[in-house]
Amino acid sequence: MVFKVFFPTCCTSADSGLLVGRWVPEQSSAVVLAVVHFPFIPIQVKELLTQVQQASHVGVTVLGTWCHRRQGPEEGLGRFLEGLGTIFSHDPWLQLCRQRGGTSWSCKAVGQPMSPGVPSDDQVLLVFYDQRQVLLSQLHPPTVLPDRQAGDAPASAGGLAAVFDTVARSEVLFRSDRFDEGPVRLSHWQSEGVEASILVELAKQAAGPTCMLVSWLLSLLSAVSTCRLFRLWPLSFICSKLSTCEQVRHRLGHLSLLFSIQGAETPAQLMRKANVFVSVLLDVALGLMLLAWLHGKDHIGQLADTLVPVADRVAEGLQHLLQWLMGAPAGLKMNRALDQVLGRFFLYHIHLWISYIHLMSPFIERILWHVGLSACLGLTVALSLLSDIIALLTFHIYCFYVYGARLYYLKIYGLSSLWRLFRGKKWNVLRQRVDSCSYDLDQLFIGTLLFTILVFLLPTTALYYLVFTLLRLLVVTVQGSLHLLVDLINSLPLYSVGLRLCRPYRLAAGVKFRVLGHEAGKPLRLLMQINPLPYSRVVHTYRLPSCGCHPKLSWSSLCRKLFFGELIYPWRQKSCKQD
Amino acid sequence: MCDQPVTNTKEARWQKVLYERQPFPDNYVDRRFLEELRKNIYARKYQYWAVVFESSVVIQQLCSVCVFVVIWWYMDEGLLAPHWLFGTGLASSLIGYVLFDLIDGGEGRKKSGRTRWADLKSALVFITFTYGFSPVLKTLTESVSTDTIYAMSVFMLLGHLIFFDYGANAAIVSSTLSLNMAIFASVCLATRLPRSLHAFIMVTFAIQIFALWPMLQKKLKACTPCSYVGVTLLFAFSALGGLLSISGVGAILFALLLVSISCLCPFYLIRLQLFKENIHGPWDEAEIKEDLSRFLS
Repeated sequence: MVFKVFFPTCCTSADSGLLVGRWVPEQSSAVVLAVVHFPFIPIQVKELLTQVQQASHVGVTVLGTWCHRRQGPEEGLGRFLEGLGTIFSHDPWLQLCRQRGGTSWSCKAVGQPMSPGVPSDDQVLLVFYDQRQVLLSQLHPPTVLPDRQAGDAPASAGGLAAVFDTVARSEVLFRSDRFDEGPVRLSHWQSEGVEASILVELAKQAAGPTCMLVSWLLSLLSAVSTCRLFRLWPLSFICSKLSTCEQVRHRLGHLSLLFSIQGAETPAQLMRKANVFVSVLLDVALGLMLLAWLHGKDHIGQLADTLVPVADRVAEGLQHLLQWLMGAPAGLKMNRALDQVLGRFFLYHIHLWISYIHLMSPFIERILWHVGLSACLGLTVALSLLSDIIALLTFHIYCFYVYGARLYYLKIYGLSSLWRLFRGKKWNVLRQRVDSCSYDLDQLFIGTLLFTILVFLLPTTALYYLVFTLLRLLVVTVQGSLHLLVDLINSLPLYSVGLRLCRPYRLAAGVKFRVLGHEAGKPLRLLMQINPLPYSRVVHTYRLPSCGCHPKLSWSSLCRKLFFGELIYPWRQKSCKQD
Repeated sequence: MCDQPVTNTKEARWQKVLYERQPFPDNYVDRRFLEELRKNIYARKYQYWAVVFESSVVIQQLCSVCVFVVIWWYMDEGLLAPHWLFGTGLASSLIGYVLFDLIDGGEGRKKSGRTRWADLKSALVFITFTYGFSPVLKTLTESVSTDTIYAMSVFMLLGHLIFFDYGANAAIVSSTLSLNMAIFASVCLATRLPRSLHAFIMVTFAIQIFALWPMLQKKLKACTPCSYVGVTLLFAFSALGGLLSISGVGAILFALLLVSISCLCPFYLIRLQLFKENIHGPWDEAEIKEDLSRFLS
């Protein structure tokens, strides 16, 4: 059985003394946490250890002795250290010794006489670890797989977690400062000291009441939003369709999470809060920049002046497109009568739209000014609002698309059932299959007549459907990219990514061992280094949930829906989601 | 009995089984190997004139298609007034309707349980829908090229002839599909006519000649074979005459086709019957001879 000793690197130059740490019997490994220096009184050491045990619930005991020979061999010290084993009884009793110069180490584990398996010298593994990094890092459970590049490093996943856990939980032990005048002098990792600042103290004092006030305001807001008035049919329907409302609701949820009175308990919750905080902060900062730009040099007026001509030009382009479709587009064989009817219908629609835009044009600047104010709520809200404005401004395209799709859907549906009639078959609803059927003469006649008519009218309808679907897809793509951007800001865990960038050891994926030295008759010495979590995993683990109002649609089902003329995005899908 | 030890190989009877060890070489074939072979037990002996009589169904259908195309050509050229065609069609339909009931003395009607009111309704549906859709039909294929329409009609009429129910019991036969194809072809052709009234009358005529006329034929053939032969001959000659007025070469070709189908093909069939060698034996699929209807009910 191999015997592991985890030794902090900060104690390698400490004076001789006692090793304090935890013995993990399952992995037969000893985690050394600190070194107690001479002189000490054994009872005081035991008292300190019981205090730490009570505070941290970690079985901290005296593991053995630490001997650092700076000068020549000191026979007396060695014998004295052996004698300490009788005062602090522990099985096995470690005797760690460092020779002068720091290159020669020896480690002995002496068991009690009755224990049969006394590990000899060469079966001891000495693993050095950076106490600060291990204390601060957070091991990611699904990825705990220590790299075995340094030969047979026998640390199993569970053992590693135990080591990390032990170090993290005995933080109490490290509180004592180097300059503290305590009864027991310890050597371990020292923090640089907490900088006391009036501002930090004030912020700490103010945080509690602020949180309470803001959370009260937020609860008031949510109570208002859930009141009866907003549940009435048209309002709730419109709210569920507007992405701005969704985004505002999402952000409100974030804020209420941030200002909730309960503190975060687990590190994951803490990380989530930090991520949300950074996301909101970034969002608002970008939004304020946008606001400053918009309201800076009369950009609003310029925007309003360009918006109306753009809408006009879009309508004109559509008119040209329709006139082209009403002719003989691309030499296709269209039914002239149906073509004229459809073209005139859509032209009238565009005419209505243009007059509506012209009616609106005096107010557009004021509307834009107010919309620009919403950027102070965050860039995401402004972007959602932009997406909604695009949806409203291209309402005519949406209408065309719906008309075209409905007509096309009817045609396809009718043709498919009439084609069955043409072959003398029918759809059996009970058995969900196509059966043969004997029709009457008049049924056959009317069915075939309609079939012929539909077949010859199909190209016209299909062309209109195709053109308007392409236009609709263009608008949907623009809106989709806006939503993608909003989702990115909403869900990207910026804090975690920053942590990974600046403090890679904080997010540990595992450890790797480097061989420091291996001499015959001496224990193998390894240095434990922390493997940082890859960026993709960081993003994957700490991703914030997005709005969730854009259900995913696979490409094949999208193509199928497009072919059969079923309405795509967004109305139909939302109803699916409610189901 | 299989286990009897047989020592003498001469006396051992050879059995046509593979599951027993027998004292013969593997490639041994006994004299009795093919004694259960039967030949041509289901082959039928045809009489020449009977076959010719049966082939008249094909002749009739070919002539129907020919008459339809000829009438359409006359209409398209403006040589035939639509009113005249409508009047003739109506009169012949009425005569046919009366004949349809007179031939078998109303037995078929009683068996099918179809009332005269249902017939009137069907006729009204035909006329109303065709008349209502005829303006649509007129502009339906304006932008489609005439050649496309002709090709489509030819394919559809060929399909009509292929899938028609000539009385054979085959999987390819589908009277529904055949009728639908004929109607499709007639609608296609009707869209080429100059006015919507023409289209309406053309489609009505198609219904009469493709849907109603075969029904009357079937009844004629079953009840009065002599008159059926006469009607077929008359019909064939009128179709030939109509075709002759359009194109002489076409008429000659059509006449050759009719003659080959009605005279040469039966002759050839009977000649080929001599070479028929259908073998039957114990390897055939099992046939259930017993009447199983009592189990099914």
